[in-house]
Amino acid sequence: MGLLAALDIGRSGLLAQELGLSVTGNNIANVNTPGYTRQRVDLTSVPPALQHGVLIGRGVRVQSVEQLLDPLVDRRLRNAITDAGEDALRHDQLSGLSSLLNDLSEPSLGTAVDAFFDAADGLARNPDGLAERQTLLGAARALAGEINRRAEGLGALQRSADDQTLGLVTEANDELDRIAGLNVEIAAAEVSGQSANELRDQREVALQSLGRKVGISVVEAPNGAARVSLLNGPVLVEAGTVTNALATQTTGPGLDGGLLHEVGLAGPGGFISTPASFRTGEFAALAESRDTAIPTAATNLDTLAASLASAVNGVQQNAAARDLDGLSTVAVPFFSGTTAESLAVAITDPRRIAAARSTQPGDNTNALAFADLRTAPQAGLGGVSPAGWLASEVARVGQAASQAEDVSAASALVVDQVQSQRDSISGVNLNEELTNLLRYQYAFQAAAKVINVADNILGELVNLVR
Amino acid sequence: MTITRVSDANTFNFVQQRTAKVQVDIRELQEQIVSGRRLLRPEQDPLGAGQVVRHSASLAALAQYDDGAAFGVQVLAAQDDSLGDANSLLVRAEELASQYSSGLYTPAQRAAAREEVHGLLQALTTVGNAELGGRRLFSGLSQSGTPPFTDPDAPGYTAATAYTGSQYQFEVKVGGDSAERVRVSTPGDQVFGDALVALESLETALATNGDVAGTLSGLSTARDGLSSERASVGGRQAQLQSRITQVRGLTEREATSRAEIREADFIVVATQLAQATTALQALLAAASQIKETSLTSLLQF
Repeated sequence: MGLLAALDIGRSGLLAQELGLSVTGNNIANVNTPGYTRQRVDLTSVPPALQHGVLIGRGVRVQSVEQLLDPLVDRRLRNAITDAGEDALRHDQLSGLSSLLNDLSEPSLGTAVDAFFDAADGLARNPDGLAERQTLLGAARALAGEINRRAEGLGALQRSADDQTLGLVTEANDELDRIAGLNVEIAAAEVSGQSANELRDQREVALQSLGRKVGISVVEAPNGAARVSLLNGPVLVEAGTVTNALATQTTGPGLDGGLLHEVGLAGPGGFISTPASFRTGEFAALAESRDTAIPTAATNLDTLAASLASAVNGVQQNAAARDLDGLSTVAVPFFSGTTAESLAVAITDPRRIAAARSTQPGDNTNALAFADLRTAPQAGLGGVSPAGWLASEVARVGQAASQAEDVSAASALVVDQVQSQRDSISGVNLNEELTNLLRYQYAFQAAAKVINVADNILGELVNLVR
Repeated sequence: MTITRVSDANTFNFVQQRTAKVQVDIRELQEQIVSGRRLLRPEQDPLGAGQVVRHSASLAALAQYDDGAAFGVQVLAAQDDSLGDANSLLVRAEELASQYSSGLYTPAQRAAAREEVHGLLQALTTVGNAELGGRRLFSGLSQSGTPPFTDPDAPGYTAATAYTGSQYQFEVKVGGDSAERVRVSTPGDQVFGDALVALESLETALATNGDVAGTLSGLSTARDGLSSERASVGGRQAQLQSRITQVRGLTEREATSRAEIREADFIVVATQLAQATTALQALLAAASQIKETSLTSLLQF
């Protein structure tokens, strides 16, 4: 019995070390797998048995293969990822807005405004000159075109944010389906006593990806299934069922005239609006950009366009204003349109530009009034000149982007720190695994030696019997 | 939060993130060197970006004030030359008037003098019709093809009604305020009206054996008028020159202020680039050492 027990002990050692080698190999293989949680074989000695009146151990057995993780750190990481996702996307959006409205590059709206007033100054120096009139018309068209281009750019930026929102909804729903499916698999595996470590890792990756889009809370049931809810909101996944998928419904028109979309939940009775539940994560950043930052910039651009058109038309249509042929221009506006998108030059014949306020040859009074608009405070712009308004708009948008960049960097740092903490607990260290590999290898060799020795002794005994 | 254990992912992520960050820094520094600008996007310095836009607008406006003033100086200089010519004509007319006041000259001599005075009248009319770049210097700087002063040889000519040009007093803009303008033209009748009438009177007196001496006071008054206009032109020229000096000073200050915010300091950027490049090399060297400190390498697995 004793020698046979030694063989059993050796066999248990072989099996345990072999499993250890497998788990270590698995850790090594997954060293670069995102979200992978390192595993460790939990070995325990087999309870002793009485042998020749003495309690002797009966080898080793594998208690479990456990994941090394801290659920609290995982939760903190999910929350940090939600914040970082929101902040990074907000920075992207505001940075895009800032690039579109960048008046530091050339050509810019600033240079177009300057070129227009330069041309007005040129006309004031030679009010009878057709070349000067053509130049002013050209500069006016360029100015209107630049304002139109920006308006279109803002519309495109808003549309892009809305499209991105729709894309995120599709991705989020895929993730909800995936989480529900993994819940089923995890519960099934763990009920039958199997390890579902890899499935849990996959679910955690899906949860992090979902959490990047919108803040969620996760509660794990005793059977291992995760209950996923929106932060302070309805349940999205319960066990193997997606109880509330994300949905969209159209809202008002965007800057480009197309309809925008609100994110909510797909309830049995139709769309459920839960705006409070989507105030975190990437959905929040996109909504903020699409519904606030971009429309504000568009409104401001409309204000500039309307103010410029009104001021220039005010001069052009002055009661005393006269064109090159001495005709009144009261009914001949310079610009048409009152929004950034619709602003256009109404005059096609340069002779219709009103440079004079009398029929006296050489009169440049009205052209001087055009030129004066460059520095004149305009009520529509809050009492500042067009250049002053542009400067404050550039600073405003730049400040918002700069602040978003700082916040994004800070939240990315938090993610780095929490991720580092998670990695320090759950990440694979190859040196450590290689050490374990050696450990299991030596233990395996030793167990084999035990069997070998027992085998030799048994052989000797058998020979004795012969 | 204390890190007590470093995973391989952690090590490589660290190197990867830092390398990416340094490479972004290097790219930005290279962009600064290539563009010569430190400030490329408003978010780099929002306040500075606003100031750059303001300075740029001011510079554009100042360039126009400079152009306006320079144009005014050019016009006034041409007018000054014309007024000098006109003055010479009147001086000659006064000489003739003095000479022929005595009554000692024969009718033929008086006719010759009359002819010379008529030539002076024609010359003064030509001066009054002078152009600069196709624009009438003494008719509101208009581009009119019709001369503002009628030809003295035209039928029914009278000096008093010879001027049919513009009454507009052309101004150039030399500052942001609507009051910052300088007049650079005076209607021709105000400048040459008295002179033409005086010359016409002298010509008539010589032609009719009339009171030539009596025209002297008119000629003198006309010459005083021209001198007065010339002084005014000189004064405005000086005003514009002064404004040009002022505007160029302002332009220099604005450009300097903008450059301080916007332009890259090549010495600083080059130094930062060298530092960043060194940091990148150090990072890459450290990264290459990761394998050396691994058991796979030490045990030669």
